[in-house]
Amino acid sequence: MSVRLQSPLSCYAIVLPSLVLLTTFVYLPVVWAFASSLYEFEIGADSHFVGLAHYGEYLGQDPTAFPSLANMLVLTLIAAIMRMSFPLIIARLIYALPTERWRYIYRIVFLVPIVVPGVAVQLIWADMIYSDFGLLNELLRGVGLSHWTRGWLADPQTALASIALIGFPFVGGFEVLIYYAGFSSIPESVNEASALDGCTGLQKFFRIDIPMVLSQLKLILILTLIGGIQGFENIFILTRGGPGFETTVPGLWMYFNAFSFQRMGYACAIGVLLFAIIFGLTLLNMKYFKSSEDLQGVR
Amino acid sequence: MGGKKTWLIHAVLVFFSLLTLLPFVFTVNNVFRTNAEFYHAFFSVPNAFKQTLSIAGGALTGDDTPIEMADEEGLIRSLDKKQALRLSLTNATRGPRLAWKVIRPYMLNTLVVVSLTVIGVILLGSATAYILARYRFAGHRALFLFIISTMMFPGVLTLVPSFLLVKSLGLLNTYWAMVLPYIAAGQVFAIFVFKSYFDGLPEDLFESARIDGAGHLDIYWQIVLPLSKPILSVVAIMNILGTWNNFLWPFITNTEGKHHVVSSGLFVLSTTAHASNFSTLYAAYAISSIPLLVLFIYATKPFIRGVTSGAFKA
Amino acid sequence: MPISRKYLPLIAFLLLSVWLLWPPAEETTNAGASTKHPEQAQYVIKFAAGWAYLPDTHPFGIGKPLQGLKNVIRDFEARFPDTRIEVLTVPGVREYLVTQLGSGEAPDILNVNVENVWTDVQKGWYVPLDPFLEQANPFVVEQGDATKPGYKQWWDMFRYQAISRGKAAPDGLNYCLTFDMVETGIYYNKTLFAKLGLAVPETWEEFIAVMEKIQAHRRDDGTETVPLLVNIGAFNDWTTDLFFDQLYYDLLPGIDLVQDPTREPYLDGYLDWDELAFLHQKGFFSARDPRYREVWQKMRELKRYTNKNLMTDDLIREFVTQRGAMIWTASPMSYRLSGDKSLGFDWGVFYMPSFTRTTSPYASGQAMCVIGGAATQLEVSNSAIADTDPSLPMRERMAQSQRLKRVIEFLQFICLPENNAQIVNEYPALLPNIIGVETLPILQPFAEILDRRYTTTKWIFTFDLRFSEIQQRMLELYLTDGIDLDGFLHWQEQNLDAAVANMLKRKVPDMQRLEERWQALAPVRATMQDLPMEEPQL
Repeated sequence: MSVRLQSPLSCYAIVLPSLVLLTTFVYLPVVWAFASSLYEFEIGADSHFVGLAHYGEYLGQDPTAFPSLANMLVLTLIAAIMRMSFPLIIARLIYALPTERWRYIYRIVFLVPIVVPGVAVQLIWADMIYSDFGLLNELLRGVGLSHWTRGWLADPQTALASIALIGFPFVGGFEVLIYYAGFSSIPESVNEASALDGCTGLQKFFRIDIPMVLSQLKLILILTLIGGIQGFENIFILTRGGPGFETTVPGLWMYFNAFSFQRMGYACAIGVLLFAIIFGLTLLNMKYFKSSEDLQGVR
Repeated sequence: MGGKKTWLIHAVLVFFSLLTLLPFVFTVNNVFRTNAEFYHAFFSVPNAFKQTLSIAGGALTGDDTPIEMADEEGLIRSLDKKQALRLSLTNATRGPRLAWKVIRPYMLNTLVVVSLTVIGVILLGSATAYILARYRFAGHRALFLFIISTMMFPGVLTLVPSFLLVKSLGLLNTYWAMVLPYIAAGQVFAIFVFKSYFDGLPEDLFESARIDGAGHLDIYWQIVLPLSKPILSVVAIMNILGTWNNFLWPFITNTEGKHHVVSSGLFVLSTTAHASNFSTLYAAYAISSIPLLVLFIYATKPFIRGVTSGAFKA
Repeated sequence: MPISRKYLPLIAFLLLSVWLLWPPAEETTNAGASTKHPEQAQYVIKFAAGWAYLPDTHPFGIGKPLQGLKNVIRDFEARFPDTRIEVLTVPGVREYLVTQLGSGEAPDILNVNVENVWTDVQKGWYVPLDPFLEQANPFVVEQGDATKPGYKQWWDMFRYQAISRGKAAPDGLNYCLTFDMVETGIYYNKTLFAKLGLAVPETWEEFIAVMEKIQAHRRDDGTETVPLLVNIGAFNDWTTDLFFDQLYYDLLPGIDLVQDPTREPYLDGYLDWDELAFLHQKGFFSARDPRYREVWQKMRELKRYTNKNLMTDDLIREFVTQRGAMIWTASPMSYRLSGDKSLGFDWGVFYMPSFTRTTSPYASGQAMCVIGGAATQLEVSNSAIADTDPSLPMRERMAQSQRLKRVIEFLQFICLPENNAQIVNEYPALLPNIIGVETLPILQPFAEILDRRYTTTKWIFTFDLRFSEIQQRMLELYLTDGIDLDGFLHWQEQNLDAAVANMLKRKVPDMQRLEERWQALAPVRATMQDLPMEEPQL
C-alpha cells in the first residue's frame, strides 16, 4: 500500500476538530478519573492524596477482587463463544436460502428484538423463566424432575450460569448481519472451486466459510471483550452481584464504590485496572491483526 | 440445492426466530392488557380484544341486549351495542394513547439530538479517518492509539467529571450537552470503521486528484465523502443504537426537564410504573421503537453493502 | 424497482411523523401542573414528588388519573402569584443524586429515602427542617383557632410522632418531612385458609404450623403452594429489625445508654447509631453474642417456607394466581387487590406473630413492633438556598434565603389537613400522617399496626449504604445455604467493624459519656443472662 508522506501540519488541521472534542469531552474526564484513583475522594467532601494505596487495597485486601475477576472472565468467555457461534450458524443458514426475499425477511426478523428495552428482557428472564414458578421450573416439574427445581438466580450453585445463559438462543441481530455480510462477500470463484474439490456441508463450513469471515469474528470478539469487561448493568438489575459475591464483576463493584459507598477514588482505581486489561488485550490483538492482514494480502 | 434442504433451513430459522422474537411479542402483547391481566398471566389474549370481538359478534347476529361494562373510571354502566363497542375500543387503545401523550415531546427532542449527533459523527469521523488512513506523518500511530484507547475506558467513572465539565461550559439544559459528548465518544468507532474502509481503497483515486492540485478539503468533499456512502448507514445505525438507550446522561444534564429524549422519557415512565399502567409503559416502548424498525427496514441492505465493502476488518 | 415506489412508504412515514410531532400551538410541552409562564414567576420551585402522587398518572392502572396534588398546587399558586411549582419525576439512582446535589442543580424538594440522605448531610446538600418544624405553621395560625395542631408548632400536626422524629439524622437534625405512612402486613388467602381449616396465627409456633400445613397441601393438579412470598429486601430490612427487637427487648434497661430528651417520649428505648457502635465494641452483635446468632437462625427457619428466588421483586403474580398463600408486603397492596376484579378468592391482612419462650429463651413476649414509616420522605435540597452566598454557614444561609422561605411555605401548605387529604386520600395506598386527616377504611388494619411500639433500631438505615449492601448479599448467601452461620457472622462482624469505623471517622461521638453510662448500668446487666463476653484485653 502506498501512502504519501505529508507535512503533519495540514493533517493535524483536519483532525483538529475531532481531537478537540475528544480531548475535551473524553480525555479530560478520563484524566480526572486516573488522577482521582490516587486520592481518597468523595464527591462533595475533602480529598487527600493516598498514592497507589487503592491499587494495593484492591489487589491485596479486597475479598471481591479475584472472585469477581474470575466471574468476569467466565461471563466474557461464555458471551464470546455464544456470540461467535449461534449467530454465525444462523447467518450461514440465511445465506444458504435460495431467494433474496426470504433472506431479507429473516435478517429483519432477527434484528427486531434489538429495539426491545432491557427492562422487558429482564422481566422475561428474572420473572418468567427463572422464578419459582417460571418456565424452567415448570418444565422440570412437568417431566418429573421437581427435585431439580430451584431459585435459579438466587442459588449460589446456579446464579452465575443462569446469568451467562440469559439471552438464549443468543441470536443477536447485529451479529447475524455482520456475519451475513461476511458470507456474502465470499467470491463466487471460491464457492465454485470448493465445489469442484468435492468440499461440501460441514467440511466446507469449517474449511472455507469460517476462514472467510475471520475478520468479522474478530470484530465481534473485540466488541464482546470490551463490553464484557466494562458491562455490569444486566447483573445489577438481576442479582446485584449476589448471592454473596457469586455474580459480582469488577465493574459492578466499581459502580457501588463510586456512587453508593462514597469511595470515588477507589472506584477509579478499579476502573484504571479494567482499562489496563482491555488495553493489553487490544495491543495483543493489534499485533495479531497485522499478521492476519498480511495473510489476506498473500491470498 | 434441493427443496427439502430449503425447508429444513426454514424450519430451523423459524424455530430460532420465534425464540428470539419472544421479548418483542411479550412487549406488543402487553400494550393492550391491563395491570390485572398482566398479574394473572405473562401471556394471554388481551381482554379488550376479546370484549371487542364478542360485542362485534353480538352486533352482527342482531343481539341487542344491553351490555354491562366498566368505564375508564371503573364504574359499571349499562350500554347499548354501539356505545359498548366504542368503549371497548377506547379501553383497548388506552395504553398507546396515554403513552403517546407522554413521549410525544420527547420524540422531537430525540430527532434533533440523534440527527445532529449522526451528522457530526459522520463528518468528523470520515475526515479524521481519511487523514489517518491515507497519510503518514509524525505521531501518526500514536494519534490512532490515542483515539482508539477511549473505547476502553469505563463510562461510569467519567460520569461525574463529564457532568461538571458540561456544567462549567454552561451547556446544561441545551441540546449541546448531549450532542457534543455523544459526537466526541461516538466518532471513535466511526473513525475505526472508516479507517479500515479507506485503508482498502486504491491509492490512484486520491493520487489523480492531488495531481490536479486539489487540496484536502476538495479531496474530502469530492472523493472521500462520496466514497464513504456504503458505510454511512453502518456508522449511522451503530451510532443511533449506541445513543438510543442512554437515559442517565440526558437526565443529569437536563435539570429543567425540557430536553428529555425518548430514553429518559421511558425511564420516567418505568420508574412510575407503579403509578401508571403497564400497558402505557409497554405502549411507549413499542411506539418509540417504530422509528428504529423503519430505519432497519431501509438500512439493512446498505448496511450489508457497507460491511462487505471491507470496513469491518478487525 | 423504481425508486419512487420503493421509498413511498418511507416518505409517507416521514410526513406522518412530522405532522404528528409538530408541536401544537400554545401547548406546553411540560406536564407541569401550572398554566402560567415561567417568566411571570419569581420563584420556580422544582418538586420531585415521587411516584405516589404524580399528577395525571393512574396508580396501579386503577381508577381516574390523579388530580389531588395538582389542585393543591393550583391553590398555592393562586395564593402566591410570584411562585410556580413544577412537579418533576427524577430517577432514584445514586448517580443522579450525587451529580445534581454536588453541583446545586437538584430539585428544591426531593423525595429520597433517608438512608440516602444521612450519608450526605455533612456536605451541606440538605437543609435541616427543625427550625421550621419547631415554629408555628402560618397557614394554621391564620385560621385563628389556637387549639388546632400546628398553631404553636408545625411538629404538632404529625400523627405518628415517633416515626416522624425518628427520621432525624445521626447529627440529631431532621432533614426529612414525613409526609405519609406505609406499614407492612402479611396478606393471606382467606379462601385457602378456610379450605385447609387454618386460623390466623397468634404466635410464632402457630405461624410455623400454618406454614407447615400449607407446604404439605397439594392442589388438584398436584402442585405445591408456597406458604409465604417474601423477597430479600424484606429479610434484610424488616425481618432483621423485628427479630432483633423480639430478642433484645428485655436487655434494653441495661444497654439503652443514651436518652435523647426530645425523642425519648416517642422513641422509647431506641438504640441510636452511637449506641450500636459502642455496644458492638463491647462484644454485642458478633458471633459471641448468642442473641445475635439467634436473629439470623430464626431467619433461616423462616426461609424454609418462602419462595426460593429471593431476588424476585414482584411476587404479587404468585399471590394473585394462588400459587402462594401469603405475601408479606406493604399497604398499597390492599388497593391493588381491591382493584382486581378477577381475583377469585377472599383475602385478609395480619401482622407477623410474636416469638414465645418456646421460640427462643430470649423472646420478650412483646408484640412485634412497628417497622414501617415514612413512605414519601420529602427533603429540601441546597437548591432552595441557591439565592444566598455558598460560603456562609448553613444557619445563616437559611436565615437569609427568600427562596427557602417560599419552599417551606409550600411544605407547610401541603400539611394543612384540608390540602393533605386531597393528596394522600385521593386513593387508598398510603396512610396520612397529619392529624385531622382520616385513614381510609381499607387501610384501617395498618393504622392499628402503626399504633404499636416503634422498633428498637433500624439496622440498615443506621449505617452507611455499604453496610446494608454487604449485609443483604451475604444474608442471601446464608439463606440459600451458600455459607454457614459462622461464615455469615464472620462477614457481618467485619462489615459492622467497617461501618462503625466509617461512622466514627465522619462524626466524633461522646464515647466517654457512653462509657460512664455503661459502667452505671452494670448492676442492671448483672441480672441478665447470656450477655456477650467482652473482648479479651491484650
